[in-house]
Amino acid sequence: MVFDEIYKTYWNKVFRICMGYVNDHDWAKDIAQETFVTIWQQLPKFRGEAAMGTWIFRIASNNCLRQIERQNRMPRSDMPEQIAEHIEHDREPQVQFLYKCIAELPETDRLIISLELEDVKQAEIAKIVGLSETNIRVKVYRIKERLAKKFENYER
Amino acid sequence: MSAEVDLKALWNKEEAKDMPDTKELLKKADRVRKLTRIKLITQTLILLATVAVLLTVGFRIDHEQVTTVIGLVLMIIAIVSYLAVANQLLPMLFKSDIEGSSQDYLNQLIRIKRKNEFINKVMINIYFGLLSLGVFLYSLQFVKRMSTGWEVFYYVMVFGWMGFSWFWSRPRGVKKKQKPLNDIIERLEAVNKQLGDSD
Repeated sequence: MVFDEIYKTYWNKVFRICMGYVNDHDWAKDIAQETFVTIWQQLPKFRGEAAMGTWIFRIASNNCLRQIERQNRMPRSDMPEQIAEHIEHDREPQVQFLYKCIAELPETDRLIISLELEDVKQAEIAKIVGLSETNIRVKVYRIKERLAKKFENYER
Repeated sequence: MSAEVDLKALWNKEEAKDMPDTKELLKKADRVRKLTRIKLITQTLILLATVAVLLTVGFRIDHEQVTTVIGLVLMIIAIVSYLAVANQLLPMLFKSDIEGSSQDYLNQLIRIKRKNEFINKVMINIYFGLLSLGVFLYSLQFVKRMSTGWEVFYYVMVFGWMGFSWFWSRPRGVKKKQKPLNDIIERLEAVNKQLGDSD
């Protein structure tokens, strides 16, 4: 698969995973771009030991985790409400709420649920995150339950 | 569970409307690579220039005593090793594999930060130790030519400065560098623990 094709196929998927992690459009775009720069650099060395998707999502997830080192960036939730609203104006409220809820989860849970919602098989998520498939199944179940509860309260 | 269907549908509605052009992205990648290379070259040149200046200045002065040369060499080692570590000129120590699983990657990041923390602490001690000893040995030859009064004054000043650096500047330098590193390590460990918490 050539880079152009990978880029077109995976850009939105990678962007959404980053967005689930940081819930900040510009920041997520930066992480997604960094991810594709890495993919471009590492592609000649890719031997196909893992599926292409697994490999790409691993790089994306690790790039998200790397944000822990960057303390200075202001998280979305810390922005004054007026600014936040201004940026959010063209997003559906329910979509906004979902991404907000995900970004409030513990870091690794954010990645797990983002990959699950991106339709990545749980066996692959296990390989990406480094946990067993059973663990992933349990975690996904709990996170979904948590999100469902939040949505119930939101809709009331 | 209908919530699941809804979540997926909602999830997929998010899009980065302005996907950067491939050319623009690759240009960025190229710029990053060039910048890294330029940074590395500049740092190496600065190091070499420092050594060259110290060597030229140092060896122009007659060194009647072997202590002068030893002092000079110690000062050079102190400065070069400090600059090398401060600029992370040893990339193999700080290399991480971004293609591994999240758990492996987090462990790598923690290991790298710990190494960084250790090197900072050790390097600052080595730097102060070598530099003080170097200055002291280097000056022996010149102090010998002074009158006793000046000699005493000189030693008081030098030891005073060494004491001040060791007991005042060094601990502050270490603390200033350790604080952000420790914070990051703490956060990385907390995230890593999330993966261990699963049952």
